[in-house]
This record gives sequence, C-alpha cells and structure tokens, in this order.
Amino acid sequence: MHIGRRRPGAIAALVALGVSLIAFSGCGDLSRDELNRGVESLSALAAQGELIANGVARDATKSTYTRVMAKTLGGEAEHEAEKLADAEPSPEVRKERNAAVQVAGELADLFSELQTFPGDEHHGALVEKHMGGVKDQADALVERLTGEEA
Amino acid sequence: MKSILRIALGIIAALGGFLDIGDIVFTTQAGALYRYDLLWAVALGTLGIAVYAEMCGRVAAVTGRPVFDVIRMRMGFGLGLVALVASTFVNVLTVAAELGGLAIVLQLLFDAEFSLFVVLAAIGLVFVVALLPFGGIERVFGYCGLLMLVFLATAIHQGPDWGEVAHGFVPSLSDSKLYLYFVVGVFAAALMPYEVHFYSSGAVEEGWDESNLRENRLNASVGYALGGLLACTLVVVSGFLFHPVGVDPTDLGTAALPAQGAFGETGLLLALGGILFCVGGAAIDSSFSASYNLAQFLGWEWGRYRGPRNAPRFTVSWLIFLFLAMLIVLTGINPVEITEYSVVLAVVALPLTYFPILMIAGDRSFMGKHANGLISKTLGWVYFAVIVTLAIAAIPLLLMTNGGGG
Repeated sequence: MHIGRRRPGAIAALVALGVSLIAFSGCGDLSRDELNRGVESLSALAAQGELIANGVARDATKSTYTRVMAKTLGGEAEHEAEKLADAEPSPEVRKERNAAVQVAGELADLFSELQTFPGDEHHGALVEKHMGGVKDQADALVERLTGEEA
Repeated sequence: MKSILRIALGIIAALGGFLDIGDIVFTTQAGALYRYDLLWAVALGTLGIAVYAEMCGRVAAVTGRPVFDVIRMRMGFGLGLVALVASTFVNVLTVAAELGGLAIVLQLLFDAEFSLFVVLAAIGLVFVVALLPFGGIERVFGYCGLLMLVFLATAIHQGPDWGEVAHGFVPSLSDSKLYLYFVVGVFAAALMPYEVHFYSSGAVEEGWDESNLRENRLNASVGYALGGLLACTLVVVSGFLFHPVGVDPTDLGTAALPAQGAFGETGLLLALGGILFCVGGAAIDSSFSASYNLAQFLGWEWGRYRGPRNAPRFTVSWLIFLFLAMLIVLTGINPVEITEYSVVLAVVALPLTYFPILMIAGDRSFMGKHANGLISKTLGWVYFAVIVTLAIAAIPLLLMTNGGGG
C-alpha cells in the first residue's frame, strides 16, 4: 500500500528525467569537438576516395569493386552531411559547420561520379584530383577548429 | 617422406587458415591509426595462440578429449554451462561476422544485393561442408587462404623503412584509451576461443594420438608463426599506405586497397580472393566450434567424420547456428561492427576457455609424461595473467572508446 502510493510519483519523476534527457541530448549544441570529429571522418573518406579513384585512373582496378566501394563510402558521406546539417551548431562554429556540410555534399557527389563511371580512366583522374581538393578543404577546416595542422 | 609431407601440408593449412575477419579488421585499422606501433601486440597474440593451440592439440592427442570436454570435466556443470553460454554467444556473433565478410567480398566481386550474397554464402557453406571431407575443407580454405601472401609481396614492394617496422615489435603502452582498445582487439583477434575449440576437435576428428605430437608442435609453432607473419604484413601495408594520408579503414574492402596500389587489378583480385577464403574458412571453423562445444558439453555424438546420420543433433545444431548467424547479418548490422563486438566480447570469455586447458595440460596424473614442461607452464601462466588483465579491461575500453570510434 505504502509502495503503491509512492509509485506514481516515482514514475512521474522517471518520465520527467527521461524527457529532459531526450530533450537535452536532442537539442544540445554541436560542439567544436563533435564537429571536428565529423570533419576528420570526412577527410578520411576523401583520402580513401582518392586511392580508389587513383585505381580507376590507372585502369588498375575492377569496376564492381569501385562501384560498391563508392556506393558505401558515398552513403557514409551523405550520412555525415545529414548529421551535420541537422545538428544545431554553437554560434562560434556555425560558419565551420556550414563549410563541413558543403564538403560532405561535394564528397558524396564525387563518390556518386565514381559509382556511375567505375571503369572510366578520364573520370577517375578528375575525381582523384577533386577528392584531393576536398581533402585539403577538410584538413583546413580541422586546422581552423583545432588550431593545429591536420 | 609421407609424414613429412603431411606435416608440411598441415603447416600450410595453418598458415592459410590463421586469419579471419577479426584479424583483418583490427590489424588494418591498427596500422592505419598507429602505423607499426602495434606490431608487438600482433606478435604477442600469435605466440599466445601458438602456446595454447599446442596444449589443446597435445591434450586431444594424448587423451582423445577436445577442449569443451575438458572444460566440463575440470570446471563442473555450473561453470561449464557459463563457459558454454558465453562461448556460444561469441561464436554465433563470430559466424555472423564471417558470413557478413563473405557477403561483402562477393558483393565487391560481383556487385549485387548484399542480402542475396549473405544467403548464397550460407548455402555455399552448407554445400562445401556436405561435399568435402573434414581434411578437404581444412586444406581447400587453408591453401586458398595463401592468396593472402599478396600482402607480404605488397609490403616488400612498398619498401617501408624496415628499421621503423622492427621498432614496432618493441612493446609500448600509451595512456590513450583508443590505443589500449586496439591492443586488446589485436591480441584478442589472434586468440579467439573458436580457434582452439576447432583445432582440438579437429585433432580428435582426424584420430590423432601420441604419434601426432610432433605434427601438433610444428603446426602450432611454425604454422601459427607464419600466420602471424601475414597478420603483421597487414599492419605494415596499412601503416605504409593509410597512416600518412589519414584513411580510416572501416570497410572490409578497404583492406584490399594496398594490394591494388602495388599490383593493380591482379593484386586486388588476389587480395579479395585471399580474404574470401580466410573468412570462409573461419565461418566454417567458428560454426563448427559452436556445435562442437554444445555436443561435447551435452555428451552428444559429434564430428563431421561421423556424418549427419550418426551425429544428427550435432549436424542440426550446426545448421541452426549458421541460420541464426545469417539472420543476424540480414538485420542490416554492419558486419565490421559485429566483428569488433565479437572480438572484444570474446576477450571476456577467454579465461573460461584457457584456464581449464592450462590445468589439464599441466596435470601429470592425466597427461603423464606429456604434461606441460617448464617452458609451456611458464608461458601458459604468463599468458593467462595477460588474458585475465585484458578480460577485465575489455568492456570498459569498448564503452569508453565508443567501440573504437574514438
């Protein structure tokens, strides 16, 4: 009986705690560290894309391999872009967040290009060059976020 | 001459069959993140599995008892049941990871739906097991796994600074949690419990007796050492190519990129072929291990050599484990993530597997003159201390590093 009287209060407290946890976790600002981790993973994806595109440019790969890898990595870049775009950045990193979303979008486009032309050496060479540029952009962003050379 | 040939074949099979998806994932990531710094952990893990595999093979040859029989006998029903549940859970996760790995490689080679390849891979494994004898399965996957030697050729072709590579074999620790997580992962990937379960049950399947002790010693020492060399080459090629440019190899296909860089399409195909056979062999080993353990614990008739009619519950349980693994992969969980969790969770189950082996192999009343000598005993206990330490650290490190995600 005694326990029964206390239970609704306890449940209400638990619900309130749960709701506030969800609220705080969902609406928290995207911190500099979180953004940095996201941009670092974009840089890693670009580096991988550069190696894959190099194989295409040299006619030294198998088109099924390129297509599947490009699809997988492109999906990861898109996912990162969505994650960054959905997050609410803290005011001091808003500009960097927008730049990161743009980098992720460019990366996804380049992987899509590789997926469409997995056996085309000319496209491979172009994508390799652009991937290098995107990686440089990502590394420059990391540098801005951390103050260290990427 | 015949026995020398048989030993040589056994060593080659051990060399080709040493690597599995856990080794490939952890060693490639370790190289990408820490260049050659974790080579010592690979070497340490390789020596560990060689020490314990030798003990398991010796116990099986001398007493005719495989590992799980020994576990139940030494630990009793209660603790034995805990070991069974833990190892079955890890084994099913491992089968799922290997099956997913097979499907990834098939997809990279033939580009169709991933789920289709998961189902085809499972059906293919059933056919292989149904059609080939035990020794045949071991040799086909072991020999074809030798395609992984392309990574050794890649390392030589890349021409890293060998002094730096040698320096990587000097043990070093860091206060970085991620580094420690990879120490645990690389070490545990070499010591996965299913490897010794399969090795000792295989020895019983092949009717080993005391005359096979030399073969056992050579398989365990030379075979695993050469297998460890392959694992080291994965660290080296990944450290050479991925580390400087910051690639994070979170996909199994990325592991093949260094071979492509060195030898073009041929290198890529050899690497994918090697991964396919290593992962396929490991899928069979780990699924068999799950059924071996269950059958040995419950006292059922077991063994591939008995055939489905004489060991029906063993055969059905094997099919069920394979089916469960297939369902896990079909849920869409990334096989590489399953791999990471299965390897790290396996660490927790390691003491339950290796302690009874150490006790039995050192028991003179049981093993007679073949009980552990000074070297085996010392190495066995040192490794057991390492295993217990890692088992305690594994789960906190898994959580603190977000499963290696940093």
